[in-house]
Amino acid sequence: METVEMQTLAGVIDKKMNRQLKQYIDICARCAICKDACHQYVGTGDFKYLPARRAELIRQVYKKYFDKTGRFVPALYEARDPDDNLLDELYDSTYACTGCRRCMYYCPFSIDTAWILSVAKAVLIAAGRGNEMLGQLADAAIFKGDNVAMFEGVITSGFEEIAEEVRAITGNPDHGVPVNKQGADVLYVALAGAHSIRPAAVIFEEAGESWTISMFEAANYGYFYGDPEKARLITKRYIDEAVRLGVKEIVVPECGHAYRVAEFFYEAWSKEPMPFKVSHILEKVDDYIKTGRIKVDKGLIEGTVTYHDPCQLGRNGGKFEQPRDIVKAVTSNFVDLTPNRAEQWCCGGGGGIVAMEEFKDVRLKSGSKKVEQLKASGANILACPCENCRLQIEELNEIHELGMEIWQVIDLVVASMPLPGNKKSAGA
Amino acid sequence: METYLWITSVWGVYLALAVFIIGMGWRIYEWATTPKSAVRLGMFPKPATKTGRFFKMLKDTFIAPHSAKIEPAMWVFAFAFHVAALGAFVGHGRLIAEFPILPELLGHDGMNAFAAMSGSIAGVLMLVGVLFWIGRRTFGPYKSLSVPEDYLLLFLLFGVIVMGDHMRFVYGDIIHADTYRAWFQSLLTFKPMFPEKLLSGNVGWSLGTHMLFTDLFLIYFPFSKLVHTIGSFSSNRVRSE
Ligand code: HEM
Ligand code: SF4
Ligand code: SF4
Repeated sequence: METVEMQTLAGVIDKKMNRQLKQYIDICARCAICKDACHQYVGTGDFKYLPARRAELIRQVYKKYFDKTGRFVPALYEARDPDDNLLDELYDSTYACTGCRRCMYYCPFSIDTAWILSVAKAVLIAAGRGNEMLGQLADAAIFKGDNVAMFEGVITSGFEEIAEEVRAITGNPDHGVPVNKQGADVLYVALAGAHSIRPAAVIFEEAGESWTISMFEAANYGYFYGDPEKARLITKRYIDEAVRLGVKEIVVPECGHAYRVAEFFYEAWSKEPMPFKVSHILEKVDDYIKTGRIKVDKGLIEGTVTYHDPCQLGRNGGKFEQPRDIVKAVTSNFVDLTPNRAEQWCCGGGGGIVAMEEFKDVRLKSGSKKVEQLKASGANILACPCENCRLQIEELNEIHELGMEIWQVIDLVVASMPLPGNKKSAGA
Repeated sequence: METYLWITSVWGVYLALAVFIIGMGWRIYEWATTPKSAVRLGMFPKPATKTGRFFKMLKDTFIAPHSAKIEPAMWVFAFAFHVAALGAFVGHGRLIAEFPILPELLGHDGMNAFAAMSGSIAGVLMLVGVLFWIGRRTFGPYKSLSVPEDYLLLFLLFGVIVMGDHMRFVYGDIIHADTYRAWFQSLLTFKPMFPEKLLSGNVGWSLGTHMLFTDLFLIYFPFSKLVHTIGSFSSNRVRSE
């Protein structure tokens, strides 16, 4: 690789530099306390997946180019160029990272390795080594945002089909899936696919919520890809829609990263405050149940139910109790996984890794802790909000023959509602 | 020996302190002048109030309860080392002035005996901690993750501690704090000199070597990962933002 090119790549780190990042780079003691926090390191034993090692690659380049002592005695820090060798390893360790931040939780200095890796992604993208799959998915989402008119017919007829199903479940001919409803209180931004819309629509309609559905999905591949500008544009699609419709609140689906992007990242990316609040759908559902706006029966679900905290919703989103309260409202047989809440093991499916075939091997191996936890719980039903988590755990469930049923939380809720068209119930 | 002492224990000390103070100042200046990330990097659970977050930061920094949970052995050694280092640091305060109150309670000899005991415990704990860290960095992922900086720091620290312990255990009964204090106060008043007692026996070699390692350690400190001594407060603060 040319020297100039390596200088440009190193320059990306400098451009992205901020106080937190600089401190993380300066203070890591390389104590490796983080090693057993990472499900990928624990599952594979592969050194490149040790959290501090992933960050070390960025540190080595930073030391070589921008740190006075590193430039003075590079050998002391193993400071080096961002050459092909380094980039090869960086690609693997960066795009494999699920961004669960379990390493940060246990680090004595709370070093956010995933945040350091967001810089690594910027370096990889500048080197033309960004993950192609994630990049394409992000571009497709942006294209859709720029050309809504092209997709509108297909999307709305899809909503109409779902509305039919909703009416069949609730038995109420007035129920539906409102779209483009000016002045609604809530804009629900779902995921692609009826499974994320139908149960939510049943719940909103039964609760008598003033809501409307977004033309866009909450999933954000620009965020996984590591390009804040793409990520911002993808989010902006539904932010603009919310402004146009004049809603008071955006509700994101069960998916974990969608919540984190909307609640924690978007304002920083766009540099402007949002004129409405962001809620997670399970906060809303918990509230509907507690205030009696929807009714759920405890007896309808058979078996023992446990709950997995998706990292972006739990440790990184702060929603530990509402989902549990919902599950406890629909069953008397609830057991928690050990450990849980902030210490919950990452399932191994986050950060866009389920979309990248090349990481399948490490992804499945990294599920070993989750499999142990699920087995130890003795539960036969898992309530699991995040779609990425569900895809991963469903695969683990099959490979390890756990014989579990994996449910979205809102599906469990709908199955527990005394509704005429509600034949399907969990555990039966 | 006198030349050695002048280099390591007079000019070396001045140089080391100057580099240390300026270096740490420069490091803090660099951090303070780099803009903060626009994205909030906090995680949960997160105390709701500012005071709550402040105390969580102190707890996370001084006790590191999460680290204790995931690697108890490492935590025990690291905690023992850091507490002993703090004890040793406070103990070295006797070089500047005799502590208040304690000597009156314990008497002159009692105070020296107390210092000998607490100093010995701290010295041994630090030695054990450093040996544990050195040992840990010789195998497996710990070795792979280590860079020369890690070994250099541990080597310097090992030198400081071994020579400190040497002075404590070999000369501890002959030479007490007041002798060292005479030398150290002469440094502080910029009229450096060595009391006869330090020049007459071999203890001067020990002091000189203790100071040689200390000087090098202090000079390197601001340019090493040991800036975690100050950085850990703000990085643990970010955890609750
Ligand atoms: C105040 C909060 C502090 C915290 C949370 C902290 C934490 C840590 C941790 C986790 C390590 C890693 C051990 C390893 O290297 O394997 C470490 C190492 C070390 N710390 Fe601290 N420390 C603190 C303050 C200090 C202070 C005030 C000193 C001053 C002497 C110090 C000196 C050292 C040394 C010499 C090492 C050994 C480095 C090595 O292993 O190479 N620390 N500290
Ligand atoms: S636990 Fe923190 S300080 Fe220790 S190696 Fe990992 S990132 Fe660095
Ligand atoms: S964020 Fe999660 S996957 Fe990434 S290095 Fe840390 S523990 Fe491992």
